[in-house]
Amino acid sequence: MKALDVSGVSKSYGSLKALDDVSFSINPGEMYALLGPNGSGKTTLISIISTLLRGDSGSIKVFGNEVGPEQYDTKALIGLVPQEIINHGFFKVHEILRFVSGYYGLYDNQKRCDYLLDNLGLTEHRDKLVRELSGGMKRRLLIAKALVHSPKLLLLDEPTAGVDIELRNSMWAFVRELNEKEGMTIMLTTHYLEEAEELCDRLAIISRGKLLEEGGTKELISKRTNRQVVIKTNTEVDCSSPYLLKKEENSLLFQIPNKMNLGGLLKELDMDRAVIEDIFIKEGSLEEAFLDVVSTSAKGGL
Amino acid sequence: MASARKSGFPMLYYREYRRIVRVIKQTVFTPLINTGLYLMIFGVSLGESITMDTGFSYLVFLIPGLVMMGALNNSFQNTSSSVTNSKFHGELQDLRVMPLSYSSIVWALCLGGLTRGLMVGGLIGMMGFVFNYFYYGDLLGVAHPFLLFAFLIIGSLIFAQIGIAVAFWASSFEQLSAVGNFILLPLMYLGGVFYSIDGLSPVWQNISKLNPLFYLINGVRFGMLGKSDVEPYFALSVSLVSFVVLFFVARNCVKNGKYQRF
Repeated sequence: MKALDVSGVSKSYGSLKALDDVSFSINPGEMYALLGPNGSGKTTLISIISTLLRGDSGSIKVFGNEVGPEQYDTKALIGLVPQEIINHGFFKVHEILRFVSGYYGLYDNQKRCDYLLDNLGLTEHRDKLVRELSGGMKRRLLIAKALVHSPKLLLLDEPTAGVDIELRNSMWAFVRELNEKEGMTIMLTTHYLEEAEELCDRLAIISRGKLLEEGGTKELISKRTNRQVVIKTNTEVDCSSPYLLKKEENSLLFQIPNKMNLGGLLKELDMDRAVIEDIFIKEGSLEEAFLDVVSTSAKGGL
Repeated sequence: MASARKSGFPMLYYREYRRIVRVIKQTVFTPLINTGLYLMIFGVSLGESITMDTGFSYLVFLIPGLVMMGALNNSFQNTSSSVTNSKFHGELQDLRVMPLSYSSIVWALCLGGLTRGLMVGGLIGMMGFVFNYFYYGDLLGVAHPFLLFAFLIIGSLIFAQIGIAVAFWASSFEQLSAVGNFILLPLMYLGGVFYSIDGLSPVWQNISKLNPLFYLINGVRFGMLGKSDVEPYFALSVSLVSFVVLFFVARNCVKNGKYQRF
């Protein structure tokens, strides 16, 4: 059974196709990234999964349960951290968690709430009104709210937007802990692609409502990027190779396929070891792969 | 596992109750001051120069009208402002994401409205009682307690439902206040809070009878004084039918309404 099974989902706003026949699935216990440029349809898709919006067609299942506004058992499996900060007029942090617990039918949930406040660094702010919290704290409160009922599927819509580096790291460490300790399946969106690369084994890339790529992070990087090798020499050398990208005085830049290793390159170059001063290898990143996927599709679309 | 999940309804109501208490100056004391002024100006000062055919002093005639006006106004205000504030803050979408049925949302909000309506209505009643005692020296009794409470409760629930429907439908504060000021307020004032339709021409009497609030207000008046412009059980039937119809209207608005932030 899939943790999330999105099948043929489409959604239009007037003539704009926000989602165009999107299908992918996430395995239980996975951390999965949903990537795409601004306005690509990520939030629309998350809104449909969490029933804030209704899709025009297609179906979504969460652990085998149909998603819908009146599918309460399915809703209880999902935790949503929305992209936009939410304020709560009159209530304090700990009251809000108590209310949300109750909405999920949990009337004796103080232990879980305290655990979340503690792990998200909110314990000392528990008696504050939401408007007294900083932006980063409000975000953490959103995460706590989404976790009071120990969901099996957590949807994180840009949880780290506008959050400083230290807080981002501690947030991801906690998310990873949830994934490992509670076996929570996590789908996240982010514009920090190095975060997605580090956290997620699999991902999907959407742009203009269309699913462009889906699969393993490593496979995508190796399919869509090259390795770059810089060889610094102590004297100017003459070199001709199909992999040579750029030549400066004492520096040669090669671009090699991901499956080729350094040994293979050196063997092919047949260079005198004595002239080599230094070697740098730069592996392809998810960011490069992502840009390649998106720009290729944009060119194709023109 | 899933079937063992408890309903979120009690917590939804509890939140409404906490909201009323948290801003009690705004939710209860402000309407009390308004109505206190009405009682003083219309009931006591102007009331002396008004003679009623009904056999009551104008102050006594006015008290049930103001009790009901307070109850209706505040139950409407409570649900509509709770929902629109939640929209404004962005938290209304929580209700959509969480496993809460439409009916439980309607009922919890309605009971919140009823709570505030009865608090305000009850306090106004007591205030009127005190005014009457000190001014005329007699104690105001309740002729038909059951009918009085039946009308108060049904009326408050009806207005709470209207508040829910309007607030879920509205996409700005302006739309909300337009409904309150252009529709509900005139209906309330023309529904017999301040006068008996006996004094109107037959044409206006008939037009007044089309106003659903006329039945609610006169129902409470009958419950309190034992006399009013309407036959109480007919008024009760009209009110009950309105209540049932409006429940489905409100539920439909919760189902199809706007959850987006203002």
